[in-house]
Amino acid sequence: MAAPGQMRVVKKRRPDPRNVTHLVMLAPVLIFVLVIALAPLVFSFVISLTDYRLTDPTQARPFVGLGNYIKAFQDKTVVDTLLNTFLFVAGAVVSQVVLGLALAVLMSGETRFMRTLRSLIILPLSLPPLVVGLTWRALLNVQIGPIAFYLKQLGVDVGRGLLGETHTAMLAVLLIDLWQWTPLLMIIFLAGIKSLPGEIHEAAFVDGASRWQAFVQITLPLLMPVLFIGVLLRTMNAFKIFDVIFVTTGGGPGNATSVLNFHIYKVGLTFFDMGYAAALANILLFMIGVCCAFYILLLHRQQARAGGT
Amino acid sequence: MSRKKSRAILGILGLIAIVLSACSAPPPAAAPVAPTAPGGGAGAAPAAGGPVASGSTCDALVTKAYAGNKLQLAAETDQYIEGFRALIPRFKTLSGIDMNTEELGYTDMRQKATADFVGKTGNYDLMTVDIVWSGEFGQNKWTVDLKPWIERDKAQLAYDDILPVMWTLGSWQGGQFAFPLAGYANILSYRADVFKTAGVGVPKTLSELQAAATKLTKADGSQFGIGLLGAKGPAVAQDFMAYMQQYGSSLLDKDGKPALSTDANLKALEGFKSLFKAAPPDATGWWWADRNDAFAAGKISMMLNWSIAIKNHKNPSMNKFASDIETAFSPLGNEAGKYGFGGWGIGINADSKNKDAAWMFIKWLTCADTQKVWIDNNGAPIRRSTLTDPDLVKKYPWFPVLLQSFEKGDGDYRPRQPWYSKMEDVIGTQVNAYLVGQTEAKAALDEMQKAAVGIIK
Repeated sequence: MAAPGQMRVVKKRRPDPRNVTHLVMLAPVLIFVLVIALAPLVFSFVISLTDYRLTDPTQARPFVGLGNYIKAFQDKTVVDTLLNTFLFVAGAVVSQVVLGLALAVLMSGETRFMRTLRSLIILPLSLPPLVVGLTWRALLNVQIGPIAFYLKQLGVDVGRGLLGETHTAMLAVLLIDLWQWTPLLMIIFLAGIKSLPGEIHEAAFVDGASRWQAFVQITLPLLMPVLFIGVLLRTMNAFKIFDVIFVTTGGGPGNATSVLNFHIYKVGLTFFDMGYAAALANILLFMIGVCCAFYILLLHRQQARAGGT
Repeated sequence: MSRKKSRAILGILGLIAIVLSACSAPPPAAAPVAPTAPGGGAGAAPAAGGPVASGSTCDALVTKAYAGNKLQLAAETDQYIEGFRALIPRFKTLSGIDMNTEELGYTDMRQKATADFVGKTGNYDLMTVDIVWSGEFGQNKWTVDLKPWIERDKAQLAYDDILPVMWTLGSWQGGQFAFPLAGYANILSYRADVFKTAGVGVPKTLSELQAAATKLTKADGSQFGIGLLGAKGPAVAQDFMAYMQQYGSSLLDKDGKPALSTDANLKALEGFKSLFKAAPPDATGWWWADRNDAFAAGKISMMLNWSIAIKNHKNPSMNKFASDIETAFSPLGNEAGKYGFGGWGIGINADSKNKDAAWMFIKWLTCADTQKVWIDNNGAPIRRSTLTDPDLVKKYPWFPVLLQSFEKGDGDYRPRQPWYSKMEDVIGTQVNAYLVGQTEAKAALDEMQKAAVGIIK
């Protein structure tokens, strides 16, 4: 610190070579984010403000301001698809988190059988969603599907099939998604469980705690950050559901399984209304962003509480 | 800024990056489309004369004038694709042109072709054009208006031999933006043995169709009278539009304005749903392949389908009831009813640099003698001489039915307008919703009308 009455000599600080190194190391990722993520985002936002249609012979792209966004919220189809999207996200995330956690707890043992079982359970993750959709479409087929066959043998009236009835179609799509993505959550939760310190549980058991009490009062609170990560990942993915619906129901019957991402595909790549499709995609992006921000906030609060700050 | 905040911001940025990669609309090509002059992208009419046949055979239409050039064809993987596979090697030998085919599914085909047109990249020289794309392609001048070329080479093309209805495969407001390639008639295919056993005659009217379908449906669900397409989207939309046409009603009035919410359409829609009572319950989710599979498996006794599918059903290795399958005209509701006509044309990209070579290929492919090979390889006919050729009629006994269906065929029952895909989506959604009980017939038609007014401006 300069003494009173003395002129303060300000030395030009030389950049810390470590910071420069960090910046150089980060540069590829930053450039990647800028080019791959931010540039399309800006482009997408710009065209969402225009009436840009590929099939317009004049290719005029007239500026419409927020017209496409206003149109979206006045469009009954969009409102219906938004409701279906929320229904799907809520159903998929809740069911998969509960089942994933249950499987993780049940399969946390380190026996050879458990290891084999875990390897088998994660197999659906390796399949492309289109293949999963087509496989389940065949399995649920009323005429030739084995599931319908055995149900008929049991005297059950399968009607139009799970995918064909308005009140069961969404459930069927949720079941397919559950089959494919629960193993992902199981793995994440299993990793979390394995990283928990064993001493706390041992002490609890010595003090007479039951397994259920130990799970609810020790495992679950300690696992909370991992649970949040799992919920976050699945929420983001569930909002983007497309492939399975595309091949199983095509959004039907009626509007029962028509979700926003599927509608965006139709508007963009069937009708070629790029401006409107971009606006819808931005609405979806905004919803996912809000959900993610909410989860991250909760995670930080939870971590702050756990750290006593 | 605290480290926590920095981490949170970086985290959100990362998430946005992930989400964007999957959610943002695909970047369209930026170049605008400039309408091209009739006759080709270069704005010039074809040079007079061109490649002239020295003899009467189709092969004489092909010269070596473009040897060494490359031609790229984008072809939809309909059954006629086998015709291309069989014929293109011969064309390559005759012309010395290096011709390649990109085989694409329906959706892929339209998306890739549109990207090629809008980007003016000219990747494809030739492409198959669905009849319902005629308006879109024509309005945007994406494909060459072949009218001047056709006028010039009328004699080589044996113009009058091509059935009049075939010209709807690509025509738009006086221009011809694709050349007829494969004509489809909507006809009735049925199991003659099942009809005979049940004592049911071939239905000629829609009420007879309903009665026959009902009679041929067994209560235990082992056999159904008819197979219909009910899946949301193009499947149910196209089946319903065909039914409307047979019934004698239509989407548009005489002035071309939407006229969906009419009494005639209401009756047609109710009649269409009534037919589903004689179809397998899951037919409300059927696409074309599902119906063909059910027919091949003997699950349904009849279906109204595009004529291109018959050959496979008459093939014992593809349908075990092949010898019992017969064809007949589509039943009509009244005198106003017409037979549904559809199919594909073949167009030349307005941005192609090989338009003359592409035109030479079209002339050779659609020439009468080549058509015989085309037909033998699952192609569909466009010429009267093909449909009346004694050898072909012997091999394909359903040709007389086809010929008459074409003569009373209507290619406009699915409006060949630029807005067709949007209208098809609305119809496909509302009719499916009605079939599965999500809405009422009148409400469905009112919704269609409301949407149509917005779409058809």
